[in-house]
Amino acid sequence: MSKLPLFPVTVVGSWPRPRWLLEALRLKREGKISQEEFDSIADEAVLLAVKYQEDAGVEILSDGEQRRDNFYSFVADKIRGIELKTVAEIVDLVPDKSRFETVLRSLDVPAFSIRNPVVTSRLEVGARGIARDEASFLKNHTRALIKIPLPGPYLLTRSSWVPGISDKHYRSREELGYEYAKILRDEIIALRDLGVFFVQLDEPVLSEVVYGPDQSQQTFMCAALFSRRNPREELEFAVELINETVKGVSGIKVGIHVCRGNWSRREDALLKGDYVPLMPYLAETKVEQLVLEFATPRAGDVEALRDYIGDKELGFGVVNPRTDEVEKPSEIVARVEKILRFMDPGKIYLNPDCGFGTFAEAPVNTPKTAFNKLRSMRIAAEELRRIYGER
Amino acid sequence: MGEMINGIDVEKLRELLKQAGENREFVSKINKWSARVRWLGSGFNFRSYVRNHSFLISEPSELGGPDSSPNAVEYVISALGACYATGFILNATKRGVRVRNLEIALEGEIDNILVFLGLSSEGHPGYKRIYAKAYVDAEADERTIKEIWEETVRTSPVGNTLTRSVEVIPEVKVVR
Repeated sequence: MSKLPLFPVTVVGSWPRPRWLLEALRLKREGKISQEEFDSIADEAVLLAVKYQEDAGVEILSDGEQRRDNFYSFVADKIRGIELKTVAEIVDLVPDKSRFETVLRSLDVPAFSIRNPVVTSRLEVGARGIARDEASFLKNHTRALIKIPLPGPYLLTRSSWVPGISDKHYRSREELGYEYAKILRDEIIALRDLGVFFVQLDEPVLSEVVYGPDQSQQTFMCAALFSRRNPREELEFAVELINETVKGVSGIKVGIHVCRGNWSRREDALLKGDYVPLMPYLAETKVEQLVLEFATPRAGDVEALRDYIGDKELGFGVVNPRTDEVEKPSEIVARVEKILRFMDPGKIYLNPDCGFGTFAEAPVNTPKTAFNKLRSMRIAAEELRRIYGER
Repeated sequence: MGEMINGIDVEKLRELLKQAGENREFVSKINKWSARVRWLGSGFNFRSYVRNHSFLISEPSELGGPDSSPNAVEYVISALGACYATGFILNATKRGVRVRNLEIALEGEIDNILVFLGLSSEGHPGYKRIYAKAYVDAEADERTIKEIWEETVRTSPVGNTLTRSVEVIPEVKVVR
């Protein structure tokens, strides 16, 4: 890890998928092409995503999540016992149907188009692992350090526990949560052994937990299925699961990514609210890095971190993945300097606020703009290194 | 069984359409519909009886009801949605188009609900506008799907009832 310079440039994960990959994803979903046929198409898309990141100067890169339909439902392909079910298939089991309707209206989508992973039997990870296949391919095709985003244990538990279906196989949501923690821990260790540098656990629903029911129309679909419980209890449960996941893991960097959702270009369609209510809990997580968004005003001020960041690293969101305008390197430098008032330069990584294509069918940017934003981040990193020296 | 499209036997559908075109008695039967709505004796609770079916109608709690079922105006927009959905499947099947998924989202805006509550005499307490948006996933190009939708809207019995302001003939008979 000593080879990393200060302010390493990295990504949060997803990259806009080419049209031909989307077609292949659809054909695979409909069972019209095999996994092998899909993989050979997706391999090409990954190479493109890698090339863009390398050319932009990204130092810890991902495979652009090209093989995934989105950041969490892909697990249905990887873990036996999870099935993708449309909201239309499970809505009758949802206690708060009217809240659900509000969400569908705000997203302007039908219930049949939203697929959610649902636990339908005991879980068992398949031969490809959750992301081991992704990591192996990536390892063969880049010399850069590798980041693998994985859906976090709380996100998976919250989104896939459907009473009436899942409770036939797990006694409680808590039991399922611990099962996910174990599965993810094994996966992280396997990824470490494959040479992965950084595993990022995505837990975007944590912001949904704190930014309440009155904002339910702006929520994440997966978390909207069931009524919110007490936010404090939910956050404590999330911390417990995250810590259980990383228990005893060493030799690999593990971070958690928490954002407010970046799936739409419409600012008003997304959650807003600062990290203040979350920080006491994030501080309790035993991960090395917090990957947070700060490029838009809706994420609040970096001061929220001052009393809680401790000796954790920060994956600092410095560009908005959802705009056409490319942030100038000088703006990025200024943002970083603000946080250097209370953080050690050696603890800061630069990343966009989120992925550029959280949902395969709805990328929030073009590859060209995404590339330019990453390029701008790298130029800013060089400038910061000039000011603050090498590590 | 003949060819099935959208779960409908195409041959039987053709026969039905042929009969409707030729048999006046059949047409007169499907030209009239009836329902009987009974108050359940307490609060805003009602049951509608239609043929061999029955369903509840109530009011949400914010309007003093038990919220045990949809209310009457919600049934109106649901009926419109169901009518559009039925028409869409009928018209798609007639054209041999397989529908994978269909969902219709409806929203009605009352002109002035205070008239219903006796708190105002401005405007009227009926819907002034109803939004109906169909989400369609079908094995056809966009143009064909739009044509089917237009045909559906044009020929919808409930849609026409609402847009052509049907003559309602109310009557009361006191029974002791």
